[in-house]
Amino acid sequence: MASVIETRKSRLLLVGLVLAHLVAISKQVERGGQSLLGQGLFAFVAPIQAAITGTIRGIGGGWSGYVDLRRVYEQNRALQERVRVLEKQLQDRQEQAQEAERLREMLQLRKELPLDILAAEVIVREGVPWSRTITVDKGAGEGVRLNAAVISATGVVGRVIAVGPHASRVQLILDGQAGVGVRIERSRVTGILVGQPGTPTAATTDLVLKYVPSLADVVVGDVVVTSGLDHLYPAGLVVGRVRSAARGTGLFKEILVTPSAQFNTLEEVMVVRTPLPDDTTTQGVR
Amino acid sequence: MRVFWTAAALLGALLLQTALTQIAPGHARILDPFLIVLVYCALIGGEMQGMLAGGAAGWIQDIHFGGSVLGLSGLTKILIGFAVGAASTRFHLVEAAARALVLFVATAADVLIYTQLASVFDVTSYDVTPAGILVRAIVNAVVGVAAYELVERRSRFRVGVRRRA
Repeated sequence: MASVIETRKSRLLLVGLVLAHLVAISKQVERGGQSLLGQGLFAFVAPIQAAITGTIRGIGGGWSGYVDLRRVYEQNRALQERVRVLEKQLQDRQEQAQEAERLREMLQLRKELPLDILAAEVIVREGVPWSRTITVDKGAGEGVRLNAAVISATGVVGRVIAVGPHASRVQLILDGQAGVGVRIERSRVTGILVGQPGTPTAATTDLVLKYVPSLADVVVGDVVVTSGLDHLYPAGLVVGRVRSAARGTGLFKEILVTPSAQFNTLEEVMVVRTPLPDDTTTQGVR
Repeated sequence: MRVFWTAAALLGALLLQTALTQIAPGHARILDPFLIVLVYCALIGGEMQGMLAGGAAGWIQDIHFGGSVLGLSGLTKILIGFAVGAASTRFHLVEAAARALVLFVATAADVLIYTQLASVFDVTSYDVTPAGILVRAIVNAVVGVAAYELVERRSRFRVGVRRRA
């Protein structure tokens, strides 16, 4: 037992003495300004330091990557919100541009038409399915009268059937109860243009031209304008074009007219406050 | 007492080595009296004493006969002392031939370890040839065994005198 302890002590002493000598010797041996012990320790420690540094960098990189990911996530959310706002702004701008274009067209028409017209904005569409009406934001307060003609830049829209202080209801010419005195611009044949009854469908957006004699000169593509004979619409306003013209079974032709007004996209209209009796003043609408 | 005799032996080795450097400057390294002392200490006292004696002998050698770097001989002799001490506890190294062999091997190991350490620490050391190592090992073995025999006879003589007294 004692010899084992002695052996252990001697080995420890050996290790201690060897290390002490290595230190002492290396302290005396300078190589490149650094002691050999330092160099040896450096050579021994450097890989460990490199491993530790690599590990720390890896962990740091992972953490910074996570933080960056979170930051990117936040940025992504902020950018998405920004994109949404910008899209909304762009949409508004486009809408404003379209509105400006429409207003420009209306202004142009207003200059060309020698009529006292009032610009109005459509605020309500199609109150009930079987009634084809719109409501505009101008009423008696602005000088709108009952039965005043309502037109757009592309064609006749309808007439005022109810007037409020600052709003009016307009019956579209598509309505089954509506009627417009018209004539074929080319052949000067007159007739009455009425809407088709029933619930509005794609097939009922065409108007029916009634009371045109079966021998009258009407061909597909003819321009249909207001005649002014109904004392509602000024003469010469474009209403639409003949889509089909058949001989019919009776005395009159069966003629369908496609309206030129874009009812689906109607947003601004013009209310004619003082319709003129003759048809010579509205040529500019064509 | 052991420390005293060890110190005395080392002092004698120092004197002898100094004398050799004075007498034969170019051949002083043929004999290494410090190695002979430490091997004897290790054979008698074991690893611990061998190491301590080796360390002391080596440092004396370093200080008095070494180069610019101290500790190379000290470290070498510590390793030799430990190895011889360890061997003495495991093998029966009393016979002259065995001791001669130990001295022979220890001398060769001393030279090789020293030169290797010198090269590791980038220290200029003396040129060593196999023939030089052989001669040195033989000289150390012969002188060492003779010295050991002398010492042990003297110690046996002392023991006999004490018994008779």
